[in-house]
Amino acid sequence: MNSILTKYTEKASNDEDQCVKDERFQNNFNIVPVPEASMYLRSLTDETQNRSCLIKMNHGTTTLAFRYQHGIVVCVDSRASAGPLVASQTVKKVIEINPYLLGTLAGGAADCQFWQTVLGMECRLHQLRNKELISVSAASKILANIMYSYKGYGLSMGTMLAGTGKGGTALYYIDSDGTRLKGDVFSVGSGSTFAYGVLDSGYDWNLSKEDALNLGRRSIVAATHRDAYSGGSLNLYHIDENGWQFHGNFDVDKLIWEAKDTEGSFAHIPR
Amino acid sequence: MSIMEYNGGSCVAMTGKNCVAIASDLRLGVQSISLANNFPKVFPMTDKTYLGLTGFASDVQTLYELFRYKVNMYKFREERQIEPKTFANLVSTSLYEKRFGPYFSFPVVAGLAKDDNPFICGFDSIGCIDFADDFIVSGTAAEQLYGMCESVYEPNLEPEDLFETISQALLNAQDRDAISGWGCIVYIITPDKCVKRLVKGRQD
Repeated sequence: MNSILTKYTEKASNDEDQCVKDERFQNNFNIVPVPEASMYLRSLTDETQNRSCLIKMNHGTTTLAFRYQHGIVVCVDSRASAGPLVASQTVKKVIEINPYLLGTLAGGAADCQFWQTVLGMECRLHQLRNKELISVSAASKILANIMYSYKGYGLSMGTMLAGTGKGGTALYYIDSDGTRLKGDVFSVGSGSTFAYGVLDSGYDWNLSKEDALNLGRRSIVAATHRDAYSGGSLNLYHIDENGWQFHGNFDVDKLIWEAKDTEGSFAHIPR
Repeated sequence: MSIMEYNGGSCVAMTGKNCVAIASDLRLGVQSISLANNFPKVFPMTDKTYLGLTGFASDVQTLYELFRYKVNMYKFREERQIEPKTFANLVSTSLYEKRFGPYFSFPVVAGLAKDDNPFICGFDSIGCIDFADDFIVSGTAAEQLYGMCESVYEPNLEPEDLFETISQALLNAQDRDAISGWGCIVYIITPDKCVKRLVKGRQD
């Protein structure tokens, strides 16, 4: 009996530095023991400073999310480019953190995937400790604070956190500078300017679900056509008070030809 | 940012049985933004000689006009059309004239000689001629094109088969290059005619 008790009892400690020793606050990454470590790390990943940098970040993407009366629509492309080379056309840029939270991937793929998985772990711990779903506001704050603590070390992440929890649906933009912005319409990535054009002209809070999904799809299609570093296929998600549902993977090239036939757009492409 | 990757674009030429094929993509862009889908990079110099130019778009246009001038002057002086092999040497010397301030372009010449023998060759930006009897590639998708051509090319293809081969090589190589694409244009040159075909490609 005693052995079970000791196994499941947290050691009571009067040490006021206990919270610092808590696993969550411990930095488990070995930083290179050079002066100005953050400058050194940035030189490893920043291609504008050093063309033959060792860690090639795959930038180039278009992701968007917008909030409307029935929930949130999240739509992303699936191309990863290493300079002009198309490294992959089938990248999953939406990370399913838990059944109520989605995170998008833009910037460094590894950074996004890793830290959003850590966020998923923190959200689950919150759920176990507090017996209720974490709010999107708190979840985004956790991620933003993690980003801020690594500010200057060369992490590259421009993500949108969309989900439902205590307080309803919410959409946040979080990036590796430590920015955390709440909003209704966001688009992130090299193709975001093209997506904003279509998104802003079609957006209305009172859209129907079908129109909202079509708007998300059509915005990504516009961006993948004009932006060289976006393309492949698009992944469409919808979030409402019950969590997220996946609405399909669509080949972008097919959608462009379909838009040309049905809407009459893309007239500059010869048949 | 490299000047050769500023506008994007690629070109490929192949030989067949008494025919040659030359093809290029149609994209013109400025770094990541795609601006035009009607910017071919293959130009007819004579009925039987075609020039493909990749790289910096401004130099593509300038070189086309330069060689058009030189080919026309040749015709006036010699009272005959220039042969592909002679034209290749003309390209080589013109490029070397700018050895210390080169044109940022990698030309490709494809044509049929007087006796209808197929002729193709490629150049680097300062005029080194690379004579080949199978295929020549050029542009931002060159590495991808090398891979595609090595696997799909076979010698002595008929014009129709050569068209299929060169189209597949270019289309699939373009899909792995972010800054080439938006369709391609293919010229098949045979002793009696030249057929120009527009091939639909992925529009992303």
